Amino acid sequence: MLRLNNISKYFTGVKALQNVTLHFEKGIIHALCGENGAGKSTLMNIIMGIHQPDEGIILWNEQPVEIRNVQTAHQMGISIVYQERSLVDSLSIAENIYPVQTPVVKVGLIDFQLLFRQAQQLLNELGLTNLSPMTLVKKLSTAQKQMIEIAKAIAKTPSLLILDEPTASLTHSETEILFRILKNLKEKGVGIIYISHRMSELQKISDIISVLKDGKFVATIDSKTPAQEIVRLMVGRDLESVKKSTNVQMEIKLEVENIQGKGFRNISFKLLKGEILGFAGLQGSGRSAMARSLFGDEKITGGKILKDGKVLHLNHPSEAIDHGIVYLPEDRKAEGLFLHLSISENIFSAQLKKGFYNAAIADDVTLKLCKLFSIRTTTVRQHLRKLSGGNQQKVMLAKWLAQEPEIIIVNEPTHGIDISSKEEIYQLLKYMTAEGKSILLISSELPELLFLSDRIAVMHEKEIIGILSREEATEERIAALASGINAH
Amino acid sequence: MQLKERLQDRVFSLAASILILCIIMTFIFPTQFPTVENFSQLLLNLSIDTIVAVGMMILLISGMFDLSVGSIVAFSGGLAGYLMYYHDVNFIIAILAGLSGSLLIGFVNGWLIAIAGINPMIQTLAMMGIVRGLALMLSGAGIQNFPYNFIYIGQSKLFGLQAPVWYMIFIVLLFSFLVNRTVFFRRYYFIGGNERAAKLSGIQVEKMKIAAFVLSASLAGIAGILLSSRLGAALATSGRGLELRVITAVILGGASLSGGFGKIFGALLGALFMALINNLLIIGRVSGYWQEIILGLVLIVAVGLDQWLIRKMEK
Repeated sequence: MLRLNNISKYFTGVKALQNVTLHFEKGIIHALCGENGAGKSTLMNIIMGIHQPDEGIILWNEQPVEIRNVQTAHQMGISIVYQERSLVDSLSIAENIYPVQTPVVKVGLIDFQLLFRQAQQLLNELGLTNLSPMTLVKKLSTAQKQMIEIAKAIAKTPSLLILDEPTASLTHSETEILFRILKNLKEKGVGIIYISHRMSELQKISDIISVLKDGKFVATIDSKTPAQEIVRLMVGRDLESVKKSTNVQMEIKLEVENIQGKGFRNISFKLLKGEILGFAGLQGSGRSAMARSLFGDEKITGGKILKDGKVLHLNHPSEAIDHGIVYLPEDRKAEGLFLHLSISENIFSAQLKKGFYNAAIADDVTLKLCKLFSIRTTTVRQHLRKLSGGNQQKVMLAKWLAQEPEIIIVNEPTHGIDISSKEEIYQLLKYMTAEGKSILLISSELPELLFLSDRIAVMHEKEIIGILSREEATEERIAALASGINAH
Repeated sequence: MQLKERLQDRVFSLAASILILCIIMTFIFPTQFPTVENFSQLLLNLSIDTIVAVGMMILLISGMFDLSVGSIVAFSGGLAGYLMYYHDVNFIIAILAGLSGSLLIGFVNGWLIAIAGINPMIQTLAMMGIVRGLALMLSGAGIQNFPYNFIYIGQSKLFGLQAPVWYMIFIVLLFSFLVNRTVFFRRYYFIGGNERAAKLSGIQVEKMKIAAFVLSASLAGIAGILLSSRLGAALATSGRGLELRVITAVILGGASLSGGFGKIFGALLGALFMALINNLLIIGRVSGYWQEIILGLVLIVAVGLDQWLIRKMEK
């Protein structure tokens, strides 16, 4: 249906895409994978008409076409769900789904009855029967917003649908729903391009997988190909896995007794020195809310937090940092990074000591940290905006490690990050525990939790429903606990 | 640094434009433009605006702005004048009263914005009206006949330059140093860039915001005292329209309304550039009406050029 022949694209001397030839067919779910910077986004931008290829031809239904802008792409029947949100919070679900093709009555006014009916029908088709089209988008959870984003793309009845990391904010069960929707569309003959970093998903949903590396096409392979092999194609080498080891010392660092607050209750656990305590659970199960309270961002309304046996009263993150507790938030761009500032300024953003700022010393320290964390950049004055997701995440880690913390709370540390950066972050986390630091790891990726954690606490409906030791923990058990099935 | 990057640095490009403008004007008006009197007058005219612009720059770096500064200029001069004229208060106490009044207004602005969560535009717009009313009550049709000591502050000269120019130079140098080199002031860049991330980095965002409004109002207070001392009169109408002029200068100087960018020297250069254009029009005997039109066009061209360069860089 869509054929890209020998597409090349250059950005000020950098070859973003080189001679890429890819064919996308009707009724086939075609997965696209590659590390960050492999050229996936550029390719999608070319298909959507945001960028024009410097070389090569695009064929749509055997006809050569020129996609000049997004409107042209939409008219041709190509629709995309971006990683970033495009919804307007203050409008209803229905208005968000039909921003352009809004039904109107004769004089040009919006026909709300028809609009809501259309939207309801679409929501039903997608199995989102519990949502009313009149609900305002701001009242939805992140995952629900993602589903509306997908609904919006489908509402254009595309013949080619592109999804860029659609499951990044979805839980296990919501992912299942999405997959059902995609299979449905596929049977109707819609072509689907599916971009994701999650290997297990790619293999589950897609028919064929194409791999890009450094702007070049590597191979198109059957989705049954073993994951190891796909990763090797993407990275160009075998990944050395971190050994499953433990650095736990028998010394209680943090003890939480029965704390409660907005979004969580009855939380008790102990964190040992050098331990990685994993937190599993669905979106909204209270993990992030609890983490924010441990960092002093929100107040606790009951219970006690003890560090090294002393009770802490935290009113502001600065006090938590003072006590050696740091927090890497889940949403890097919104909560963690200063994209308009340089690497070294970002790293020194958490410097609490007042006094004079010396840019030369800051740059020096940053340079050392960049080496230690293998942050790939030409200069420490580079703006964060220009780094890849993986490098940005490493800058955040470096920023907090420069504070010499004792307890590190990390929330979804590898969200939307390419595989080799992921591996490096795992190594860094392990390295920190070897240094005697303790880690609270919140993650929605079960393999990651199982791989890193010494113990895993599972949260359900604002409470800890069970804490599993490394021996007890399996994907099935965690998934069962997280959905409220207490399997004793 | 490459030329392209240099061009994106507003302090550099503005300084270059000012230099070019000066050279051109020297050739066109060799007898009127490059004279000590002209420059001394030009600097005097921009000194009040620049002192206020320094505070405004810090607010814009942190992603906020203050529309009440123009009214505060009239209020602080008015309060000091009122106390000296009607109550024979010592000039030092009168000045301190004017400054503390301004500081208090800044605190109220900051508290209502940072703690109560009122939008800065709405809060300072309201305060602009309230404070202008207070200034009218204090100075009515205008107060004159100030003690010599008070007049001396704004009318004395040193090395051929009037006192307000020296105050301006001192304030610009001081704050330029503080903003570049102290951890405290550098935090405004973090707050302006990403407020949420700033809080999660341990920065006391609310307190910092209040401090920024207090600082901006205090600088406006100083400007008000200097202005009434220089004019030898406290007028209820002084500083009218100053807030928008100052915001224009600061934006020209490289600040962004969304926060996170800007340098103190940019505020000075922005004000200087505007004063130069003004000077050019006066010497060239162009009608005063053109002044506003040309400044509006200059602002659009400067910001538009920036956007164009950014887009060009990304391609």
